[in-house]
Amino acid sequence: MTIYRGLAASCAALLLAACQPADPVTGTDSAAGDAAVTHDTSFQVDVSYYRLDNGLRVVLSEDHSVPTATVGVYYGVGFRNEPQGRTGFAHLFEHLMFQGSANLPHGAFDNLIYGSGGVNNGSTRYDFTNYYEVVPSNALQAILWAEADRMAAPNLNEAQLDNQREVVRNEVFVNVINQPYGGWIWIDLPMAANENWHNAHNFYGDLSDLDAASLEDAQSFFDTYYAPNNAVLVVAGDIDKGETLAWIEDMFAPIEAGAPLPEIDTSEPRQNAEKFDVLEDALANQPALAVGYHMPDRGTPEYYAMTVLDQLLLQGDDSLLTASLVNQEGFASGVFGGINMLGNAFNYDGPMLWTVGLIHDSEFSVSEVMDTLDTTIEGVRTDLVSEVDVERARTKLLADFYSTVDTGTRFGLVDLLASFAMFDDDPERINRITEGFEQVTPELIRATAEEFLRPSNRTVLEVRLAPDDADAPE
Amino acid sequence: MINTLFRAALAAASLALLPATALAQGSEQPPVGAPKPFHLPQTRSFTLDNGLAVTFIPYGLAPTTRISVQIRAGNIDDGDRTWLADLTGAMMEEGAAGRSKEDLATAIAAMGGSVNVGIGWNSSGVSTNVLSQYAADATALLASVVRQPNFDPAEFDRVRQNLVRNVDIQRAEPGSIATEAFRRILFGDGHPYGRSLPTEEQLRSYTLDDVSAFYAANFGAGRTRIYVAGRFDDVEMEAAIRAAFGDWARGEPDLAGGTAPRHGPIVQLIDRPGAPQTTLRLGFPVMAIDDPDAPAMTVMNAMLGGSFTSRLTRNLREDKGYTYSPGSGTTWVIGGGFWSFNADVTASETAPALRETFMEIRRLQDETPPQAEANNIRNWLAGVFILQNASTGGLIGQLANRDLWNLPADYLDTYVPRILAVSDDEISLMARQYLPLDEMVLVLVGDLSLIGDEVRALPEFQNAHIITASDN
Repeated sequence: MTIYRGLAASCAALLLAACQPADPVTGTDSAAGDAAVTHDTSFQVDVSYYRLDNGLRVVLSEDHSVPTATVGVYYGVGFRNEPQGRTGFAHLFEHLMFQGSANLPHGAFDNLIYGSGGVNNGSTRYDFTNYYEVVPSNALQAILWAEADRMAAPNLNEAQLDNQREVVRNEVFVNVINQPYGGWIWIDLPMAANENWHNAHNFYGDLSDLDAASLEDAQSFFDTYYAPNNAVLVVAGDIDKGETLAWIEDMFAPIEAGAPLPEIDTSEPRQNAEKFDVLEDALANQPALAVGYHMPDRGTPEYYAMTVLDQLLLQGDDSLLTASLVNQEGFASGVFGGINMLGNAFNYDGPMLWTVGLIHDSEFSVSEVMDTLDTTIEGVRTDLVSEVDVERARTKLLADFYSTVDTGTRFGLVDLLASFAMFDDDPERINRITEGFEQVTPELIRATAEEFLRPSNRTVLEVRLAPDDADAPE
Repeated sequence: MINTLFRAALAAASLALLPATALAQGSEQPPVGAPKPFHLPQTRSFTLDNGLAVTFIPYGLAPTTRISVQIRAGNIDDGDRTWLADLTGAMMEEGAAGRSKEDLATAIAAMGGSVNVGIGWNSSGVSTNVLSQYAADATALLASVVRQPNFDPAEFDRVRQNLVRNVDIQRAEPGSIATEAFRRILFGDGHPYGRSLPTEEQLRSYTLDDVSAFYAANFGAGRTRIYVAGRFDDVEMEAAIRAAFGDWARGEPDLAGGTAPRHGPIVQLIDRPGAPQTTLRLGFPVMAIDDPDAPAMTVMNAMLGGSFTSRLTRNLREDKGYTYSPGSGTTWVIGGGFWSFNADVTASETAPALRETFMEIRRLQDETPPQAEANNIRNWLAGVFILQNASTGGLIGQLANRDLWNLPADYLDTYVPRILAVSDDEISLMARQYLPLDEMVLVLVGDLSLIGDEVRALPEFQNAHIITASDN
């Protein structure tokens, strides 16, 4: 393969999907003179997009407001891809990527990042596994080198596999098995709602599958999925784009592309009958209810209508379900959920649920709660919502977007850029994020609710209290 | 949610087998240069005639404005009526100035925000984050929530029931069970700091009159500070705040009585049959935040258990695999502070995990840490300071903390130099002075049939008062 060094050589060879640097990040001088009806949308994210010869997609975003740089390395492998009989493996493997690499013995990677004043982490989701860090910008070159080192050659060995198996087992204990409610709404509900194994297995992992995971599994998983052609690298913050791109060329271009990825079918059939499931919880003191509806396909007009419906029905104290279930009926202290319980409406690529959950008093029956939920949801399936309500939902979405991208770590910004690069091949979409919402009409909202919020498109998961003498699960 | 699905790594083992394949890049790590200077944004503060203080923090990229009204009123003012502050805060979310909760929620949502009332041990916040063009309108709306809560009797029973439910849910969580016991030992039953959860009977005994009286005694301009951070028009916001808060009464004086935590040796064992993990809280009283030792304590904490590269994390997690998310920290209170280490460890490894924890504390007490390790920790705290101050919410939190504890105006500007000036010897000194193992407070929540005997036999507990009680 060709190794390019330096920016000049790179530019000629790269596919520049976004050659023109976008406008620098700006805002206006805010509210003073604005008319009440229009929102300030001059906020722009700087985006440049490149693709190395080995297939690695690179997104750079320059902003010098704080002298830090944020790096995100996203691999296009998540829960959906993990092999049958190896539930939880994508997440276990994520842990292994922190255990050292060719030139960084165990611990050196974290010491480099923390010792230079940064923090790092990783996470595993439906359709990606990400590794990210924010460091004072003087450490950026070293951090890119370290990420390249583990992309090229992580140190996979038995001792670290055994150690991290125990760490992950404790993670599952502390987040699921030893907690009331455990994974009810984010693991058990998707398992009950989905038909296709890729979407319907326990993605934290059955403990027996974690025990069975071997070093050979790890090597084969790495070889299959952790190739540059299945990855997106985002660098945002106090950077010089030319210099940063040259470093990336030096460090990442020599890593060889992998074979084409195995194709998996993650599709879900149309659901035609309501499904019910029950979870007995020996630790919980109060019953709970989770309801999941299959979402329209990501990026369709109906999907944007669902993001607006999510705001109208569920998000915030002004939402219809808060008004009915919480304020009027007093079933619960709050109602929660949304699109993608492990992320947001943008960072996934496949079947997804829109989820509603609440923990309610024992004195209220499931049918009482469901009757109120049905009445509320039937309202938007039958009547047109007002333009004023739709506009308020759009305003909330715009404010959410600003909250996501304008943070101290820039992790939210990097996540959106990586998701739009990975799933849409178009990180510039971040500057058109409101376009989809703008096209949503009251008529489209009603039509979307009619099809996607029908009871036969949902799964109801009931959390019941186990009898008093039951032991805690294990 | 599980924003964790965490990860791994640490220690400096070179046992690792290097792959024999050709290296894909240069094997030399590029150098880390000198950090660029970081400057906190310029703030502007002024005080209204009624004593209400205001701080403006121009900051950020997106056209949003965060407004936070901080009142020096919290659980410390509960007296013996645990969570009366929480009930008051919950009722403040139920409508104001004659407008219903839904009406207010709809109005603020149309500005891109929501109203949140948060009750803490020592202070409470009423805050929102809206599109900048609505910052002045949002100020007026927040003022009505802070100054004119409806306290509508029609909402009271439902709101109180919400709190009863929330307490019941918390009592099922091992972390809440452990924390409740831990705080009771540290602060005793006689101080609000020692009572983290009310009983159901207690909650049900509170009336709307109690709420009104708590509000009247603790909310007023003289105990309030407003922080505005983001992109906003300075002149317009000052006018909006003066119009909305200028005629608010000063209110009652601040009579909060703090207390210093107690030391052990006290060990409490709480049985949770079948639990696959033991939830532990280990603690010691420390100095107050304005004590000259506080910066050294901060560095000691980061090295011992307060960062991912800390010794306890490396040992218990990255070497032994006993736990997923160990961590330590210092909590400041009015009247002192305490250091605590929290972890959920594999049940069968409870005693070994405690042994390793005590060993790491002793090692830090006995040996001055290597300079390279200490440098890394000091650098980390300096870098994290940037992250803590690089968002509107973070900046408000930092400044509100400074003001709550009456720290000097330049506290944040001098924070990093103070951290960098902590010597390697002082790190060990802090561990010796403040973490004497024969005075520990320790709570374990787990399956006592599995862990009890081995834990009781630990030599560190020979002189400890051991309480064995089941979770109430």
